[in-house]
Amino acid sequence: MSQIPNLQNGPIDFTPIRDQSHKELISILKNIRGKKCLVLDPKLGGPLSLIVLTSVLKEHGAELHHLNEDPIESTCTKVVYLVQTQLHLMKLIASHIRSDTSKGLQREYFLYFVPRRAVACEKLLEEEKVHNLITIGEFPLYAIPVDEDILSFELDSSCKEFLTDGDTTSLWHIAKAIHKLEFAYGLIPNVRAKGKASVRVADMLNRMQDEEPVNSTDTDVPEINTVILIDREVDMITPMCCQLTYEGLLDEFLHINNGAVEIDGSIMDANEKDGKKKKVPLNSTDKLFRETRDLNFEVVVQVLRQKATSMKQDYTEMQSTNQTVSELKDFVKKLNSLPEMTRHINLAQHLSALTSKPSFSGRLDMEQTILEAESYDICFDHIEEMIHKQEPLVSVLRLLILLSVTNAGLPKRNFDYIRREILHSYGFEHIATLNNLEKAGLVKKQEGKSNWLTIKRALQLIVEDTDTTNPKDVSYVFSGYAPLSIRLIQHAIRSGWRPLEEILKLLPGTHTESKRSAFANANGPSSDILPGMDKPQDGRRSLVLVVFVGGVTFAEISALRFLSSQEGMAYDIIIGTTKIINGNTLTETFMGNMG
Amino acid sequence: LLWKESWEMAKNPMAAGRGYSLHGPRIKLIEKAQNLFAETKEHVFESKAAEEHAKLLRIQHELEVSTKQPIFVDSSISDTIRTCIVLGNHRAAMKVKTEFKVSEKRWYWLKVFALATIRDWDALEKF
Repeated sequence: MSQIPNLQNGPIDFTPIRDQSHKELISILKNIRGKKCLVLDPKLGGPLSLIVLTSVLKEHGAELHHLNEDPIESTCTKVVYLVQTQLHLMKLIASHIRSDTSKGLQREYFLYFVPRRAVACEKLLEEEKVHNLITIGEFPLYAIPVDEDILSFELDSSCKEFLTDGDTTSLWHIAKAIHKLEFAYGLIPNVRAKGKASVRVADMLNRMQDEEPVNSTDTDVPEINTVILIDREVDMITPMCCQLTYEGLLDEFLHINNGAVEIDGSIMDANEKDGKKKKVPLNSTDKLFRETRDLNFEVVVQVLRQKATSMKQDYTEMQSTNQTVSELKDFVKKLNSLPEMTRHINLAQHLSALTSKPSFSGRLDMEQTILEAESYDICFDHIEEMIHKQEPLVSVLRLLILLSVTNAGLPKRNFDYIRREILHSYGFEHIATLNNLEKAGLVKKQEGKSNWLTIKRALQLIVEDTDTTNPKDVSYVFSGYAPLSIRLIQHAIRSGWRPLEEILKLLPGTHTESKRSAFANANGPSSDILPGMDKPQDGRRSLVLVVFVGGVTFAEISALRFLSSQEGMAYDIIIGTTKIINGNTLTETFMGNMG
Repeated sequence: LLWKESWEMAKNPMAAGRGYSLHGPRIKLIEKAQNLFAETKEHVFESKAAEEHAKLLRIQHELEVSTKQPIFVDSSISDTIRTCIVLGNHRAAMKVKTEFKVSEKRWYWLKVFALATIRDWDALEKF
């Protein structure tokens, strides 16, 4: 099965977006005649594989390389670099060129920035005295469809950049990506934003519309009705909890990267012992995965078992009686799904082995205890003990962030003590990590009283008796905790944020709700509730685009899919995110790299 | 103040990134950072950390000279204690413990883990 997902079945067809990027990339290659060496930023390799097959690149005479310290060994005289705007990458390129010149190699260099060129990068190339040797261009890749309902802007550390460094580059990128969407699908009439970064994005979006308007008369009904922007900062709690959906757990343990996991060959096939890594694609083109990805993992095991039993039954029936041709046909059809079955049974088995360990249930218990926020000392002691046992720093920090956020910080004495213990146990270089987290307000000194209890109660975040088999509420994705972010979106869709004003004020950042100018006159000013009237006639539901500024977890995606599958729900939901994250990957962006 | 802080932070990693041969200048750089942190009231914690870091590097350097094994520098305090116990050098371990006022709780965890690594079950039994 291909890693590139089939996009046509989604609530909106993302194919045009992918095709456009595909076309732009190919035309870059076509414009450079003859054989060439395509040198990729290693960070771009994954996302690009969701757009174009390597075989297609090869058809266009490109030889693939990854950008690293080693000079390029190739007979090609033309070198094409495809990179993000990172200063250290410029240095690498400059060193490549210098090593070529010193060897007397004459090559033509092309440099394409993704998604746009940056002054700082070009300055550095000038300083390195290689700028005049390079032809510079842009490859405007802003959003990549990861699956039929998810767009990723591939900004790995936007959350840290904004919170710790105050860097807003990624916000411009997000606004640009949404604006580009509007060119394809029509101007989005309603904009809601919660959080500092989101409000900024909404402002930028309006400015872009002023400067370079999308003509709204072309399409009388815009395909996307509302965009809801939400900062990761508003809800730092959800990503720090361990996801309990099938896809979420796969991500927590095996780390899903660009719609695929790379795992030990022995997990998939017990006979394979050479320890080779195997890539397993995971997207909605896989029917069985489509069915099970959003379920709570406990349920997935049951579903797989049922399927296996029913298949076995079919098989025995097959042997016992004489079959008509059509029955045979059905049976063969079922057999076709066999590879999918084995794949997921293997994966599920691997996850079961990991989740049945006592350390896993201990971790879940601790997360639960912190969320209930009634026994601070127990939680603190637990984290202290983890540090003393030198458990992985990421796991320690995840719980520490959870504890700090729910308590509006740690009391000064505890704060200094735990920081000292961390430095002693993991090394002094982590002072940079602690500093980043403090600046971002994730692990900090206590200021004032925590309002977590109020928020928790008002938004019903802890749901008792959650039924994971027949879920009635989004809380099933964490077996009892309903993600804060999802609750906010639920309210935004159902009744607007006005009734929630008091609670929103307790969360970080401001919020805005606005109608875009072109529609404000047409619909009148009083529109607190989303206009449900302008539904397209063909029975399709209108669309809400939810954009997570700073990343989203698979569990939240599952929760949103669950919401839009509910009866009486007037909207389909599509998701835009800076990156699909989990607690580990998010925390790691804050971990300072030294040296 | 913010500018100054970031400058100091930039220096610290620079120092930490240096190779083994630069012990002398590295410790000096960290001590300089410590003094800069000490100038303002808000950075008492950072200043203390830098002081301890410098001290740790010195001790680790001494340990490397005395054991002739380049395995100490750039490991954390806890790791240093564990390495000492694994090597059977309990006196050095005790010294690091008292030098950095390591709490009893942490000390016991470290000792248990270290003794388990070298499978010294007798010593484990004894304490």
